[in-house]
Amino acid sequence: MKFLIYGALLVGIVPIQTTILGHVSIAGIRPDLCLVTAVLVGFTRGPFEGLLMGVSLGYIQGFFSAGQLGINLFTKGIAGLLAGAGGKYVANATPVTAVAMVLGLSILSGVVFLFSDRAVESSTDLFQALWSILLLQSAYDAVVAGIVYRVIGFRIRKVQGLEHSFARLFP
Amino acid sequence: MYRSITGPRRAILLLFLLLLALIFVLPRQSQDVLQRMGGPVAEIVALPLQGIAAFTGGIQHLWDGYVALQDVHLENQRLRREIEFLRGQNNELREVASGSQRLSRLLGFKQRHWPQAVATKVIGRDSTNWYRGLVLDKGEHAGIRPEMGVITPAGLVGRVVKTTAFTSIVLLVADPNTAVTALIQRTRDEGIVTGTLQGLVRLKYIPLLSPVREGDVVVTSGLAGKFPKGLMVGVVKRIEKTEDDLFKSALLVPVVDFSRLEEVLVITSPRPSDEARPGPVPPTVPSTEGTPKP
Repeated sequence: MKFLIYGALLVGIVPIQTTILGHVSIAGIRPDLCLVTAVLVGFTRGPFEGLLMGVSLGYIQGFFSAGQLGINLFTKGIAGLLAGAGGKYVANATPVTAVAMVLGLSILSGVVFLFSDRAVESSTDLFQALWSILLLQSAYDAVVAGIVYRVIGFRIRKVQGLEHSFARLFP
Repeated sequence: MYRSITGPRRAILLLFLLLLALIFVLPRQSQDVLQRMGGPVAEIVALPLQGIAAFTGGIQHLWDGYVALQDVHLENQRLRREIEFLRGQNNELREVASGSQRLSRLLGFKQRHWPQAVATKVIGRDSTNWYRGLVLDKGEHAGIRPEMGVITPAGLVGRVVKTTAFTSIVLLVADPNTAVTALIQRTRDEGIVTGTLQGLVRLKYIPLLSPVREGDVVVTSGLAGKFPKGLMVGVVKRIEKTEDDLFKSALLVPVVDFSRLEEVLVITSPRPSDEARPGPVPPTVPSTEGTPKP
């Protein structure tokens, strides 16, 4: 089941990112679902799965972006890995911790993009990119991550509750 | 953390680190390797991409035609419903008419000026916020290759930077990583057109003594790259120059509205006239479609 979900994520997230998300953009900025997915998988399933999901999603994302192929692979892979490593030290994972994790890693990933592949010519350009792309996208990513984490958490609790009820009914 | 990872996981982590080292040490070669390795994966992902694009197109059509018009008052609900129905039909017909008008204009332009060009649909936007790019529904199977120019009847759009079997990625002229040689039509002064982070277009390196003024038309110069001479890029909106600058630069209003592009032409090979004589091309067809609104 897990591999089925991971496969669906790998095949489905990038098409959604390039098509549907344009309709929910704020000031032309869309959330980066690939980053959010990599971080949440890392955060909930550990660094290894976070790294693999991040690398795979980043690699596929690179084919549908005008940037260099390795940048997405690198940023998403590292984000998944760091989220997994961070998640190990969080005693009580809540949507707030997930949001903080996504916010921090989205900013880090944005900084890599900003200084690796963008033609930033002046401090005005830099300031503009920081405000209009990096911080806006990070905030958007964090909000989406909070919602997704809450929904996933609710679903897990619901399934666990059902299983518990069934166990009581049919011991 | 590293000590806690053992067995195959440690091997995969090391492989990842090795891959990263390869990307940083040999960036150009690693691009080729990554491109070849991921080709089949990109082909698989292109299928749901095209499916979702077609689906969202249908939903958008439904939304524009029906749901967005659901501001119905209870008292005249029946009449409203009738109007809605007629409006929906009308919208549908208009959409069909405008689509066929757009396509016939594109086809006419292609047949008149670019018989070698490939007409493609825009099915998505760049998957990150850091690049201004488009995803097209045709790729290597249609003869599209990286570095080919992309245009509309209105003017210059950008260039192809990546291709898979069934899709292509176009970097728009409004992206800072784009550079196209251009000239001011009236004064014949040359410069380089590049995008800005705000998504605008700027003509840089205009000679200091150039009499450029607002409203001047900027066209491609055809000196370098895959773009032929004479393609319209934009109209000068503001001229920028500080005392220390050695050149002037001009902010342009692009002739193409990049946010509303639906179909584009990819120049797969130069026209015979361009190959024989590098001169001005026939004037671009004036078009209201794809042009920014004032």
